[in-house]
Amino acid sequence: MSSDFEAYEQDFGTLTAEITNKIGRIPKLGGEEKTQLVLNVDKQLEEVRELMEQMDLEVRELPIQSRGMYQSRLKSYKGEMDKLEKDFKRSRIAYSDEVRNELLGEDAGSSESQRAHLLDNTEKLERSSRRLDAGYQIAVETEQVGQEILANLHTDREKIQRSRDRLRETDANLGKSSRILTGMLRRKAAIHFLLIHWKRVWLHSFVHFPVPLRRHSQTMSGEKEIQRAPPQKSVGSREGSEVLNTSKFRPFPSVLAEFLFPRAGILTM
Amino acid sequence: MDNSGKEKEALTLMAEADKKMKSSRGFGTLFGGSSRKYEEACDIYVRAANMFKMAKNWSGKIWLELNSGHLELQGVWAAGNAFSQAAHLHLQMDNKLDGAINFLDAGNAFKKTDPQEAINCLNQAIEIYTDMGRFTIAAKHHISIAEIYESELLDVDKAICHYEQAADYYKGEESKSAANKCLLKVATYTAQLEQYQKAIDIYEQIGTYAMDSVLLKYGAKDHFFKAALCHFCVDMLNARLSVQRYEDMFPAFSDARECKLVKKLLDAYEEQDVDAFTDAVKDFDSISRLDQWNTTMLLRIKKQIQDEESDLR
Repeated sequence: MSSDFEAYEQDFGTLTAEITNKIGRIPKLGGEEKTQLVLNVDKQLEEVRELMEQMDLEVRELPIQSRGMYQSRLKSYKGEMDKLEKDFKRSRIAYSDEVRNELLGEDAGSSESQRAHLLDNTEKLERSSRRLDAGYQIAVETEQVGQEILANLHTDREKIQRSRDRLRETDANLGKSSRILTGMLRRKAAIHFLLIHWKRVWLHSFVHFPVPLRRHSQTMSGEKEIQRAPPQKSVGSREGSEVLNTSKFRPFPSVLAEFLFPRAGILTM
Repeated sequence: MDNSGKEKEALTLMAEADKKMKSSRGFGTLFGGSSRKYEEACDIYVRAANMFKMAKNWSGKIWLELNSGHLELQGVWAAGNAFSQAAHLHLQMDNKLDGAINFLDAGNAFKKTDPQEAINCLNQAIEIYTDMGRFTIAAKHHISIAEIYESELLDVDKAICHYEQAADYYKGEESKSAANKCLLKVATYTAQLEQYQKAIDIYEQIGTYAMDSVLLKYGAKDHFFKAALCHFCVDMLNARLSVQRYEDMFPAFSDARECKLVKKLLDAYEEQDVDAFTDAVKDFDSISRLDQWNTTMLLRIKKQIQDEESDLR
């Protein structure tokens, strides 16, 4: 019975208009009038609820095809009713925009201040997004700088490794060269010792053992062999240097004298 | 002035050294002291060269007069000459290392005035070093020569050759990162010369090496991006496949902004949409500025789109 439904809708419309009106007036009034109005609004809300229930029953009786439209309308009416109830409750606490305006004394400028307020907000948002962008840019730049530094570190690492290896090589080479030099020194000492000591022995053999040539040559070779054995033993640098020292400090003229005047050598020794 | 005094001193030293050279040829063989004469002559040449360098007056902008300007240039040229004379003497004495060092000094002195001479001296020095087997130093000087070609003589081909040589030597000496640096330069120049395949190979190689190394992995995405751009210049399909490949190899690449840019560019290219292309590039540029090489490549790709559009019309 759609005509009933429409009648209900009209009643609903008028009632809600009245209620809104009264709710608007409630916060301004006080005392007796307020309580009367509140009771009034309460009663009207009850009526509205009853209307809603009847509309619901009507819709249920309808066939299923046409139900959809009425159901959606019903839902919107329910929403309106809930809103009215909320407003009503809030008005009882005397919480409304008009009250705020009366208190703060700004009536004409309210809409403009709201506009300014909104513009302010948008600008703040834009500023923060710009700052975020700048921050992101800086982060990206930092990443690039870090990347370059890492690449440099990598090259430097290789350089340091290479120089360390070269240093070790040089160290080994230096060790080898010092060993060679000490070897050279020892050999020189040995030869020196052999040279000078052999001369001394040969000369003394002339002085102490004036024997005929044949046996002399025999003993000489024997002496020479004996004399050659110790020098090979005394390859130790200490002994070599000792001999070196003693032979160094023998003055050259005496050696020459021995060479030239072998028999007189016994006097000098 | 102080500088002209030094100049005169230097000239006298040069004359002295020349005289010594000539005199030593006469008496040298007799006494066997020829090497000493040569050494002394070398020392004098080097001292003269240093004086010339001093006389060059490094804040030379004050000398606006023509004479002094002429003198200045002459000074540096003379320094180089003196160094190369000393170097030749060293070579005659079979003193290779000292000769090479003097060639280097000569090269540096010539760099200011006569790049060609500088390159000659450096080449000679490199020959000596490679003979001795010191490839790292030779590589370093190949790089200097390549830089001279890059900046003063603007001969990109020769520069590429030298960079490649340097990279080979570095690889031989197991310094991969220095080799990679040279290869990067090679790649940038070859891509500018439109030899895309070579550049692609180099970039991929460096990229794969970088992604394994802890220190270098943050730079790897940059290399893949460049390789993708080169692919793009050649052929779009190539680019798509290669981007896929790089993402598989290196998952972090897909998060990078560069990868997203490349994908956007691929889409714009498919749809032949120049505006979308420009927008994507502008977007990327607003966050982090695109460098010279990147802008050139992107411009080439953009021109390709525009040409195709005009062809279709």
